[in-house]
Amino acid sequence: MIELAPKHKYGLPLATPLMPASGVFGFGDAYRDLIDLALLGAVVTNPISLRPRRAARGQRIQTRDDTFVVHTGWPNPGLHKVVRDYRDVWSHLPVPVIVHLLATQPTEVAESVGYLSSIANVAAVELGYATQATTRRAVDCMAAAQEGTLPVIAQIPLERMAAWAPRFANHGADALTLTAPPRAVLPISNEGLDSPVAHYMRGRLYGRALFPLLLNVLSRWSDKLALPIIACGGIGSPQDALDCLTLGATAVQIDALLWKDPPLLNRVGHKLRQRRPAPTADGESSTNPL
Amino acid sequence: MPVPGAYVLADLGGPLWEPLYPTLLDDAGLVTVVPPGHAATALLPGTPVNLLGPLGQGFRLVPTGHPLDRLLLVAESTYLPYLRPLYQTASSVALVVEATTRAQLPSPSSFPPALELILATRDGSAGYLGPLEVEGAAPPGLERAGARLRELLTWAERVCLACDPGRYPAFAQIVQETRLLPGSDFAQAFVRVPMPCGVGACDVCRITTRRGEQRACVEGPVFDLLDFLAT
Repeated sequence: MIELAPKHKYGLPLATPLMPASGVFGFGDAYRDLIDLALLGAVVTNPISLRPRRAARGQRIQTRDDTFVVHTGWPNPGLHKVVRDYRDVWSHLPVPVIVHLLATQPTEVAESVGYLSSIANVAAVELGYATQATTRRAVDCMAAAQEGTLPVIAQIPLERMAAWAPRFANHGADALTLTAPPRAVLPISNEGLDSPVAHYMRGRLYGRALFPLLLNVLSRWSDKLALPIIACGGIGSPQDALDCLTLGATAVQIDALLWKDPPLLNRVGHKLRQRRPAPTADGESSTNPL
Repeated sequence: MPVPGAYVLADLGGPLWEPLYPTLLDDAGLVTVVPPGHAATALLPGTPVNLLGPLGQGFRLVPTGHPLDRLLLVAESTYLPYLRPLYQTASSVALVVEATTRAQLPSPSSFPPALELILATRDGSAGYLGPLEVEGAAPPGLERAGARLRELLTWAERVCLACDPGRYPAFAQIVQETRLLPGSDFAQAFVRVPMPCGVGACDVCRITTRRGEQRACVEGPVFDLLDFLAT
């Protein structure tokens, strides 16, 4: 059992330090036939906005070697419709639900967390930010999220670590997710097309190549932030998850690598259940050997 | 074996699953047709391939339980493989194939003899003059494909299409004009989009329909053509 919100009045206890990342797992139980959901600590929903959002136009995914860029526009039918459609699913999941909210306007965040506070089995919210959001707006959204009763996790873009992480720690975040997928650009494959014109797409970058970046962030920040940290980015094996915990993470999220390998969540879940923190000479659990 | 139009996801070595649309499954294995340059063409013979499926909603041909009498298939030449499993699923099958030019048309010998083949080209170099959506006057010596398509729509008991989805609103309009009150699933349209997760989790495959956004991987990749009618 881990505690992801030790300073929150209700806390956020999870049976396993494992969950899917937002944006890769759907809104509920899409993977019910491929994954043992009971092995998870929580389910994290796809990003949800207060108002409906349409899917992005144009190409939405492009691969290059072992990485890929995704741009969906975070389509969703709006918070109230999602809750109508999924509250029954959520209430029957064997693990709690963390609702990922798109944090664009403080007023919308406040309304959303107020609404979610009464939904069965919703245990926390995770705030996701646009990379172009200002620090002021991000902090205001965090403050607005405190108006609800649920623990608040902030997902920080890789590019904003230094500017945002200390502020969120001082403005009531209960935990931090490090990090949101970095933004990247890839040329769009035009194989088979006659046009010599190059096209590009910008989006979220996924792939195993993110894992060393994640370890770098963890090793630099885990000792500096007095908050539980959820590690996310390129985790592709049980050993990767263990490495994140060794470097100070309290929990891990598996990102889009699970699309190709859904049983990865099962493997990591089994491994983390077997894990016992390695004791140090003074009897304390070891953290951050770097 | 997936029904025609449904798919399996295949691990072809890249970072994401690739959808494959099987046309045949027997003791020798699974047969699928892929375009040139597809990742499957780089596999060496004998390479094991991990598959996940069957997934998705395919073509719905016999809702009332009786065999289909008259089936119309409409495809752009590059989409033809997706309709291949349907060539012999009705007593009478007519297949309309449209290509940019003659060189992109398939050889008639590659089809079952009983299938009625109607060819069209955008430049009029072979068969009817495309595009399929257009009827009316044609240059001397040519006939418009649109007029022939409308005749076939009045004949058909079911219609299955595989084209660029951007053309489906126009085709839906033609079907509605031709049949006045076409039943649900009278015309069904196949959509080809990337489907990296296959379970409706990633939102990459969302398409816009009259009923709102749908996920091609679970609600499709075959949809009622009338879902594409302009609202």
